[in-house]
This record gives sequence, C-alpha cells and structure tokens, in this order.
Amino acid sequence: MSDTADHSGLPADELLAAEYALGVLAGADRAAAEQRIARERGFAAMVAEWEARLSPWAAGIPEVTPPAHLWDTIAGALPSETPPAPTGGWWQSLAFWRGLSLASGALAAACIGVLIYRGTVPERPPLMASIDGGGHRHFVATLDPARGSVAVAPAAFTADATRVPELWLIPADGRPRPLGLLRADGGVVISIPQALRPFATSDAVLAVSLEPSGGSPTGQPTGPVIASGKLTNL
Amino acid sequence: MDLDANRSLITTALARIPGGDRAALQTVYRLTSAKLFGVVLRILGERSEAEDVVQEVYLTVWRKADQFDSGRASPMTWLIAIARNRAIDRLRATRSSRHMDPIDSAAEIADGAETADRALEKSEDNARLHGCLEGLAVHERHALRGAFFDGNTYDDLAARMNVPLGTMKSWVRRAMVKLKSCLET
Repeated sequence: MSDTADHSGLPADELLAAEYALGVLAGADRAAAEQRIARERGFAAMVAEWEARLSPWAAGIPEVTPPAHLWDTIAGALPSETPPAPTGGWWQSLAFWRGLSLASGALAAACIGVLIYRGTVPERPPLMASIDGGGHRHFVATLDPARGSVAVAPAAFTADATRVPELWLIPADGRPRPLGLLRADGGVVISIPQALRPFATSDAVLAVSLEPSGGSPTGQPTGPVIASGKLTNL
Repeated sequence: MDLDANRSLITTALARIPGGDRAALQTVYRLTSAKLFGVVLRILGERSEAEDVVQEVYLTVWRKADQFDSGRASPMTWLIAIARNRAIDRLRATRSSRHMDPIDSAAEIADGAETADRALEKSEDNARLHGCLEGLAVHERHALRGAFFDGNTYDDLAARMNVPLGTMKSWVRRAMVKLKSCLET
C-alpha cells in the first residue's frame, strides 16, 4: 500500500458511507447520510459493507450485563397486541391448544395437523412430549427432527407472577441444555441449536423450569423444574 | 459468550420477530444485551443513559427485524450498528462527546481500546482487521479509534489531537481508503 494514496481513491458516496459507519459525522451531514440510507439501496449497502468491515473492532469491548429490570421495561414498551404471525391463525390460538390437549389421543392429531397445515410431512417422523408435573399437563410439545424445531403450546400451565417458563432438553447424559423461553398465552416454535439436534431423540426428556425474567442466567436451571416429559415417536 | 456459536440462534430468533414473537425478541436480548450494553456504555459513559439507549435499541430491533438480511450481514454486525448509532444519536442530541481528553499521537493510548485491539486477534476476520489497523499511521489509528469507541465527531477529534479540522478530515479519509484497500488484499 502506497503512503501517497489519498482520499480521492474512494468515490464521494463511499467516503460518506464510511464516515457514517465510523460514526464521525454530526448535525446536517449525519442527517443527510441517514436520509440517503432510507432512500437509496446502493448507498445503504455501502454503509452496511463498512459496518461489516469495522464491527469486528467491537469484539474486545467488555460485555456489561444490564440490570435485570431492563428487559421488563422493554417488554412493557412493546405494542400490547401481538399481531398474528403470517402462518399463525388457529395454530397460535390458546383455546385451540387447550381444547386439543384435554382429550387424550388428540396429541397425535395435533402433530399431524400442524405438519399438514405447513404442507410438509417430513421423512423423519416427528416426536412428541406431554410435559406434565403435579398431576397436570403443563405443555404439549411436538419436535420436528427434519426442521430441527420444537413447537410448544401451553395446556394447563398458569403464568407465574415473577418467573418465566424455560424449556430444557435433557439427553441420556442427564445434563439439561437450554432451548428457550415458553409462553403461558400462546404457542412458540423454537429452533433447536445445531449442536443439540443429535440429542433430540426419542430417549431424551423435555423439562420446564421457572426462571427469572430473561431466562436462566447460568445456562442451567436455577428455579424449580415444574414439569417434564419423555419424547416419544408419533 | 461465544458470539459465533450463537450466530445461528440469533439469526433464527430475529427471523421470528416480524411475526410478533415476543419470546424471539427476548431470546435476542438474552444472547446480545451484555455486548450491546457494553458498546453503548463505552460511548455514553453513563449507565442510566446507556440503559435508556439499550431499550431504544431493542425496540428498534422489534420494529426493523424484517429488514435484517441474514444472507448479507452477520446478526451481530447489524445489532452493533444499531446500538452504536442509537448511542451516537443520544450523544449528539445531549452534549458533546464525553471522551475529550487529549490524544497524544506520539504515544499509544492505554485504555479499553487497546484491550479491544488485542482481543481482535482471536478470530481470523478480526485478525485481518487488526493487521490492517496496525498498518495505519499511529495518528490515523488514534483518530479512527476516537470515532469508533468514543463517538467523537471530526470537530472532537481535531480538538483532542490538536490539529485543524481539515487536517483531521484528510487523516480519517485517508485511513479509511487504506483500510479498505488492505482488507481487500
């Protein structure tokens, strides 16, 4: 690289994109760059490229855990009505799931229904689990090995005022792996991390613990395990 | 936290947000909030203000998740850019930069940025950027660092390094040209 290179080596547009991504602009210059990002795809792409070049620099900025109440503040500021997902409808209806889970044998129908609804009947058959505890069926889970996802709907589970339900996969080695947070008021579909997919077999157990808002801070259950159920072939 | 290992988790969760999935936003928050809080706090220097901005960041993520294109960008790059921009907006709206101590371009500065530089060597991508930053003149590297880590403007940097504004602009622009050229080779 020649030390005599000067900034005429980059077009004015790209220099502006670089300056914006670096964060060195202020006032009207910064506002003008933002307007161009909103209106011009090409310019927005140049900014994104510069962000990608520079962002590894942030790798060494120390992580600082925000206070526990911050998530609650964010959750409280979200729009109150959760709009239905594009593929939602009856599948996300709590009444539907509660009704289905009442009748024994309806589990299989639910699994098949979901698969037909999605238009995909996978070659690897789905697994299901009835996640029970204390004489109640708390959640119903269907696990799709082909997609690497698990759909979990609440049955008799009642929300806890201060804690949230977290789903765990417990394979044969007995060590719980976190899968994600569940909801008391509707179904969730969780993508199983690639590394855990080999463990999502018919000898594994799904369990639910109650954790502080945001989930277990340790990667292991910290609250009571209120329910569990073995994955079984459909 | 190993950000690379979490990349697919974050990407998957981001993809579920446009459908109105709060649990997905919470997953993104769990996986990334410590990093983003660190980034915002580095720029703003005040915890309460950084908390406000991190709240804005995740509400922005909630609104704009449909604009994230996993085929074109890494989720952390996208999230860090949102966090830095919201923090810089706050900085510009309130007062001038908190980080205005003079930068002596004859000496390497010892602060968090040095740690950040060393941490870069961990991954291959990061090692490339680190190598290219090392190839810059010391004053150029210090100027970029002041902008990236401290949220300094051209005016701030000119004052901190005691050079005319025009000189500072050509330092930064020249450094960006060098950096791009180095990263592409």
